[in-house]
Amino acid sequence: MGDLASYANSLVLWAIALGVFAVIILQSIIYMRAAAEAGPDLGFTRQDLRASLRSGGVAAIGPSMAVVIVAIALLALFGTPAVLVRIGLVGSAATETSSANLAAGTMGAELGGSGWTPEVFTVAFFAMAFSGGMWMVSALILTPLLKRGDSHLRNVNPALMAVVPSAALLGAFASLGVAELPKSSLNVVAVLVSAAIMGLCLALAKALRADWLKEWGLGFAILGALVVAYMVHHGTGLGPV
Amino acid sequence: MSAQTPSAPGIATAEAAAYARFDTVTSRWGRITMLSGLILSLSGPLYLVLGTDLDVTWSELLTGFAAVAAVFGVIWVVEVITYYPVLGPAATYQAFMIGNIANKLLPSAIVAQATIGAKPGTRRAELAAVMAICGAAIVHILSLLIFVGFLGTWLLSIMPESVTDVARLYIFPAIIGAVIVQLAMYVRSVRILLVALGVAVLVQIVLVPQLGTTFKNFATAIVVLLTMTLAWFLRDRSATHDDALPTAHPPQES
Repeated sequence: MGDLASYANSLVLWAIALGVFAVIILQSIIYMRAAAEAGPDLGFTRQDLRASLRSGGVAAIGPSMAVVIVAIALLALFGTPAVLVRIGLVGSAATETSSANLAAGTMGAELGGSGWTPEVFTVAFFAMAFSGGMWMVSALILTPLLKRGDSHLRNVNPALMAVVPSAALLGAFASLGVAELPKSSLNVVAVLVSAAIMGLCLALAKALRADWLKEWGLGFAILGALVVAYMVHHGTGLGPV
Repeated sequence: MSAQTPSAPGIATAEAAAYARFDTVTSRWGRITMLSGLILSLSGPLYLVLGTDLDVTWSELLTGFAAVAAVFGVIWVVEVITYYPVLGPAATYQAFMIGNIANKLLPSAIVAQATIGAKPGTRRAELAAVMAICGAAIVHILSLLIFVGFLGTWLLSIMPESVTDVARLYIFPAIIGAVIVQLAMYVRSVRILLVALGVAVLVQIVLVPQLGTTFKNFATAIVVLLTMTLAWFLRDRSATHDDALPTAHPPQES
C-alpha cells in the first residue's frame, strides 16, 4: 500500500487541492466585496453584512467538524488530497465513495481490498472527479437558463420532481448497500451497525430536539461500524482476508 | 423583479442599479471561479493518468465513468434545479463548488437570514445567504486544512497498520448503512423505500450472480432506473406536491 500512498499523496495532487481551496477563498472575497458595494442601496447595511458572515460561519462549525470526522476515516483509502477535494469540498462522502465503489467494480476490484492498486485508485478518482464535475457543469449551464425564468424548467411537474430524485438516490444507495451483503459476514455487520447507529442518532435527535445529532450521525455511524469491524476482524477472523 | 414602488421611483432605480451591479459581478466571477475549480478538480486524476507511469487505459477510465454517470446522471441536473429557488444565481455558483449544501450551506444561510431579520425572497435575504455561505466556506476550509490536512494526515501516519487496513476495507459498508437510513428518513416514503430495497435485492442478489460482469457493472444503474420508474407509476396520487419544492427534496449532501 505504500506504493498507492506515494501516488495518492503526491506533491502535484496536494498543490491541486490547495489550488481548489484558493479558488473558493478568491470567490468568497469577490462576493463579499460585491455585497459590501451593493448592500447599502438594497437595505443591507454594514452591520447586516458582518452579522450574516459571522452567523453563517458559526453555524458551519458543527457541520464542518462532522465532515472532518468522516474525511479522516477516508484518508487511508483515498489519501489526503483526494479526500480534501472530493469529500471535504465539491462532493460528499456518500456520493463520492459510491462513485469510487462503482468505478472500482468495473475493474473487478473492491474498495480497499487486495485489488485496490494505484491503477484502480486512478480509475476511481477519475470517475469521482468527472462525475462530481458534472454537478458544476450542470450549474454552469442551468443557472443562466433558470435566471431567465426558462418556462420549461420552471414548469416541471412538481410530483415528478418530488418522486424522481428521491427514488433515484434511494435506488442508488439501496443497491450499493445490498451489494455489500454477499461479500462477507463482516460486511453485513458493518452495514447493520452503521444503519442502527444512524437510526439511533436520528431518533434521539427528534426525542431530545438535538439537531446537531443529525449532522454528527454519519460520523458516529462510521466510527462505530469501524470499531465493531475492527474488533470482529481481529477477534474472530470473520472477514474476507 | 425589481422592488419598484410608485411613491419612491428614485430609490427604486438606485436599488435596481445596485442589484444589477451585484448580479453582474457575481455572475461573471461566479462562473469564472467555478470553471477554474472544475478544471483544477479534473486535473488531479488527469495528472495521475498522463503525468505518471501508471498504466491505465482510456477505455478503463471511460467504463468507470460510465458506470457512475448511469447512476448519478439524473441527480446532476435535478439537484441544480431543486436548489436554485432557495440559493439564487450568485449562491448557486458558490454552493455547487463548495459542496455539502443541504447539511451545511442551507442551514448557515437560514440562520443568517434569521439573525438580521431578512424575509425570504427579498434582496436582503439573498445578500445574507451569500455572506453566510462566504462565512461557512471560510470556516469549512480552515477546519479541513487544520484537522484533515495536517492533523488527519499526522494521525494516519501514527496509526497502526491493523487499524488503517480495517478502515480501508470496511469504510464503504460503514458509510452506506447510515446513508440509506438517513435518506429514508428524509424522503419519508415507505413506498419508495420498499420499492428501492425490493429492486436492489432482486438485481444484486438474484440477477447479478447469474448474468455476468457487464451486467454487474451497470447493476446499480438498472436499480436506479427501475426504482424511478416503479416509484413513479406506484406513487401516491392523492398526495399534493404544491409545496414539494424545495423542502421535500432529500437533502443529499452534494
